[in-house]
Amino acid sequence: MNLLFCFLGVFMGTLVGVLPGLGPTAAISLLLPVSFHLSPVSSIIMLAGIYYGAMYGGSTTSILVNMPGEAASVITCLDGHQMAKKGRAGAALGIAAFGSFIAGTIGAVGIMLVAPPMAKFALAFGPAEYFSLLLMGIVIIVYMSSGSILKDLLSAMFGLLLGTIGMDSISGTQRLTFGILELTDGIGFIPAVMGLFGVSEIFMNVERAVVTTLVTEKVKNLLPDRQDWKESFWPIIRGTVLGFFMGVLPGPAPVISTYSSYALEKKISKTPEKFGTGHIVGVAGPEAANNAASSGAMIPLFTLGIPANSVIAVLLGAFMIHGLQPGPMFISKYPDVFWATIVSMYIGNAMLLVLNLPLIPLWVKVLKVPYTILFPLILVFCLIGVYSLNFSQVEITLMIAFGVLGYLMRKYKFEMPPLILALVLGPMMESSLRLSLLMSQGDPTTFLRRPLSAAFMIVSTTLIVLAMIPGIQKKRAKLKEKLGDDEI
Amino acid sequence: MKRNNIIGGIFFLIVGLIFAVYSRSVDIGDWSEPGAGFLPFYGGLIVIGMSLLLVVGSFVRMDAAVEPFFPESDSWKRVLSTFLALVAYNVLLRQLGFALVTFLFVGFLVKFIFPQGWWKSLATAALATVCVRLVFVNLLEINFPKGILGF
Repeated sequence: MNLLFCFLGVFMGTLVGVLPGLGPTAAISLLLPVSFHLSPVSSIIMLAGIYYGAMYGGSTTSILVNMPGEAASVITCLDGHQMAKKGRAGAALGIAAFGSFIAGTIGAVGIMLVAPPMAKFALAFGPAEYFSLLLMGIVIIVYMSSGSILKDLLSAMFGLLLGTIGMDSISGTQRLTFGILELTDGIGFIPAVMGLFGVSEIFMNVERAVVTTLVTEKVKNLLPDRQDWKESFWPIIRGTVLGFFMGVLPGPAPVISTYSSYALEKKISKTPEKFGTGHIVGVAGPEAANNAASSGAMIPLFTLGIPANSVIAVLLGAFMIHGLQPGPMFISKYPDVFWATIVSMYIGNAMLLVLNLPLIPLWVKVLKVPYTILFPLILVFCLIGVYSLNFSQVEITLMIAFGVLGYLMRKYKFEMPPLILALVLGPMMESSLRLSLLMSQGDPTTFLRRPLSAAFMIVSTTLIVLAMIPGIQKKRAKLKEKLGDDEI
Repeated sequence: MKRNNIIGGIFFLIVGLIFAVYSRSVDIGDWSEPGAGFLPFYGGLIVIGMSLLLVVGSFVRMDAAVEPFFPESDSWKRVLSTFLALVAYNVLLRQLGFALVTFLFVGFLVKFIFPQGWWKSLATAALATVCVRLVFVNLLEINFPKGILGF
């Protein structure tokens, strides 16, 4: 059955990834309710499949219609679409699939090797270290967000405050529930995420009159030839290594790794003038980096319980919904979930390769579905999905409210990833903070006296100070332009 | 951008005030024994401070031309209609039942947001209702309200 859920995950992930405007974050958000009814192992296997399926789906639209399905596929447009225009869409799609498969497989091996020792190291963490680490995670996401550090910090603080709604885990006191039973466990993560990323996206899209669907090229010859392999092999390996280690660091690693891989390959290439004209290396390296970064991003999730980006934050929320607590004890407490997820990565990547190439004509058909038909279906999916969680209309109301909030935040240029990350991490941060203060008898310098905690605090402070320097603000704004709205 | 910051700042100021004021009705505790209201109270104060900084800083800064809120003249109608359709779905779900309300919801959006023909709208609504029922009711065995139609 888990093989079936793995297949469903990669299939649905690719399908949603192909749809323009819905990135991996929205894909996982929309499909979370489906996984809710499965066992924890099956659910996580399916969600992991959705994650890298969505990453692959994004590159399909980049190559075929020059429209990236998500921010990490922007770079693939440069050479991938040029290859398609020259009648080599098949080779581009093929090398993207093979490159992703190789990178994903090596990435899965990397997780097996790196995660257990990292988890052992994290066992030394106390509440103070945890609080500082979680704070650093949020600050890093804030730093990687748009130009105004103050507005991003406000979003993050808002998320923290929203995370306090519900029953206090230490004293059992109800906070801001107003007698509503559904709020006793806090603001539902799924309604919040589906509202912020799914519903608000629809509100943004219906503002503009719909553009007719783009014409796609006919796709043939899906297997790269010997010359393609000769040119692509080492870029795939380099992209894999680069992407994997970037993925471990918090931030939009799948996106940044694609830019870094492209820049690296262009720099060391003997024919840099070919980049941008349909050079297969411009597809192979970034696609491998993208997939490897997606694997690497799982490591801080499994070992520290820290999501490296907003997509992983949604995965973290899914873990917690199933009663699984990622962190240093995760591998020893839930070895079946950990190893099942690793194995599913091997199998899922193989499925992506074997199944998605023949399914390309289907994805082309999906791209031709007009948005006027698509968006009501997406909304129905959101409504039904949220209702099916607890059969509560309060949760639908919450989703709509978060949809309006997300829409207004986008209009007024407040970032959402810091909010969602703080909403997910907030309860853990609060309990770590209160425990640390209890243990230190109210001494806040405990966060600086403990070496690891002090190191995290110094990194956080440095990033906030750096973000305020005008020169760095401009660079962050430029990076934000490249990355897009929600793929942080 | 200036207008965005002022409006956003005022919104977060109100949010901070709500949390800071409300948390006084639960136990804030002190630094050596933080209570349930500790983070909402101090977090609320931090948000109030940051919001004031944002609002005051925006008044001081000179700004270029103001961007229109809606990109097109009838954007607001489409956004508002979509929002009201969502609210109506939620309100009528139990009364009308899942199948009928889904059919009406999809039909309304397809027909009126980016106007399509009646046949296309009705066919899309019917197909969507059937597919959603197959996936959620038949495959995942989730029980949705039956409403006045009984299915």
